[in-house]
Amino acid sequence: MSWSRVTALLGKELTDLRGRPGLFFPAIFTGAIATLLPLFIGVLVPAFTGERLSDSTDLQIALELYRQQPGARALEAEAAIQAALFQQFLVLLVLSPVAASMSLAAASVVGEKQARTLEPLLATPITTFELLLGKILGAFLPALVLSLACFALYVGTAALFAQPGVARMLLTPRPLGVVFLMGPMASLTALTLAVCVSSRVNDARSAQQLSVLVVLPITGLLIAQIAVGFVVTVPVILLITGVMAAMNVALIRLGVSLFDRETILTRWK
Amino acid sequence: MLLADSLTKTFGPRVAVERVSFDVHPGEIFALVGPNGAGKTTTLRMLAGLIQPSAGAVRFRGQPTAGSERTLRAGIGFLTEAPGLWDRLTVRQNLTVHARLHGLPRPDRAVDAAMDLFGITDRAAEPAAVLSKGLRQRVALARTLLHDPGAVLLDEPTSGLDPESARDVRELILRLRHERRAVLISTHNLDEVDRLADRVALLNTRLVALDTPQSLKARAFGTRVRVTFAGPADPHARTLHDAGFTDVRADGHTVSIGFEGAGRHTSDIVRRLVAAGADIEAVEPEEPSLEQVYLRLLKGETS
Repeated sequence: MSWSRVTALLGKELTDLRGRPGLFFPAIFTGAIATLLPLFIGVLVPAFTGERLSDSTDLQIALELYRQQPGARALEAEAAIQAALFQQFLVLLVLSPVAASMSLAAASVVGEKQARTLEPLLATPITTFELLLGKILGAFLPALVLSLACFALYVGTAALFAQPGVARMLLTPRPLGVVFLMGPMASLTALTLAVCVSSRVNDARSAQQLSVLVVLPITGLLIAQIAVGFVVTVPVILLITGVMAAMNVALIRLGVSLFDRETILTRWK
Repeated sequence: MLLADSLTKTFGPRVAVERVSFDVHPGEIFALVGPNGAGKTTTLRMLAGLIQPSAGAVRFRGQPTAGSERTLRAGIGFLTEAPGLWDRLTVRQNLTVHARLHGLPRPDRAVDAAMDLFGITDRAAEPAAVLSKGLRQRVALARTLLHDPGAVLLDEPTSGLDPESARDVRELILRLRHERRAVLISTHNLDEVDRLADRVALLNTRLVALDTPQSLKARAFGTRVRVTFAGPADPHARTLHDAGFTDVRADGHTVSIGFEGAGRHTSDIVRRLVAAGADIEAVEPEEPSLEQVYLRLLKGETS
């Protein structure tokens, strides 16, 4: 494998992306929702209604569960519930970069074909692995930057508007694991799948429709956390990250083996 | 330099190319002509290492390329039918990406040289999207030659260009011959082939004919001479008929005479006409267009 060729393609992808800022609107929208929801539920609603979160019997379970975390015991009940809400909605934040890069990744190969730029690209000595890796990284790196920017905004919002100590709880191993391990790995899995799908379908819309399915497991995780009180602990984060890393390796191998230059060049119109 | 050895390509039950063989030498412009669906682009793609032949082989610089298509792609420049530029990237960015994909040690220098060669340096900072079709084709040609390939494959290089841009591209192609590159052009423009090509292959899934343009013309139509007279040509046509020339066509003040071979017949015709008192104004070889040759050969193939 030649990193020089991968970075050449990656550079092209990033340059190309600079001319399409509209692609990031879905991510900014999702990031804003993820930031506003805990702020709304945990800070604004109690402030307007004058009712404390800790007075609600519904949130006592969340408090009990959350109190099991190291560092949470020192927080007052109100702050602990706010911290629990901010941590739960972190998983939604993980969806932001995926939303941003999904359309990019889904159009990566089929888009080149439709723009008639794929054949000159394939006429160079680039290998299929290098091509797919360049495409995946081209979608992933902007997603990662967005993810970090969204997280900084999230922590900043908590620091400004929530109870003292809530923002600090977002910088403990569990939320950091979600943001820096599970989130990027979920993005990578989604984008790898999207790029692979993009090389097997003959229009970008089909690729987007198929690859958007990878958002479902992450959404399921969010629902499980809220509905049944499932706690994403550090070991769970590590397990999910490990499984997704293995899936990534398998997916990219599958992508390389399924990438059929001949079919792409001769059958796609 | 580049050899197609009995190349065959099938897509399912459909045979796209059948047992096609030819070689392209350094410093030669070799034209591939044929109707739509004749297998020209498929042949180019096999020669460029983009698709695998179902049977037969490609040899580049004497070496078989099966299993080493990346090496083949590194040594060949392939201008695809569409310029295939990334619209949001500038001319320089487009070329730099390809220079790096080819692993050139000094991509910036190679890009500068290519832009200079193709006269596009002043457009370096412009996005490809704003370029005219002719300029896009120039940039695509510059991209094709960035890595200094020994063989160049050009798929419809002047298709859709205005006459001035097409002439510029033809001049660039002639330059490639001068630089001793092996040049293979696939085109529908037979006038262009007539002007540029050293040899022509007529493809219609199989190879119908392969020769120099002159030889193909002679093969299809024999040799013809046109004589122009000061007066009506009919009496002189009868004179030639009486002298044993069977293929004589009179039209106004000219007769067109066809015969096999070359040389002695032209002087014989002139001598007989002068002896019969003809007032001859001009004698010139009558050359069919390559289009006529193409249509005749293709008609023969079909029948």
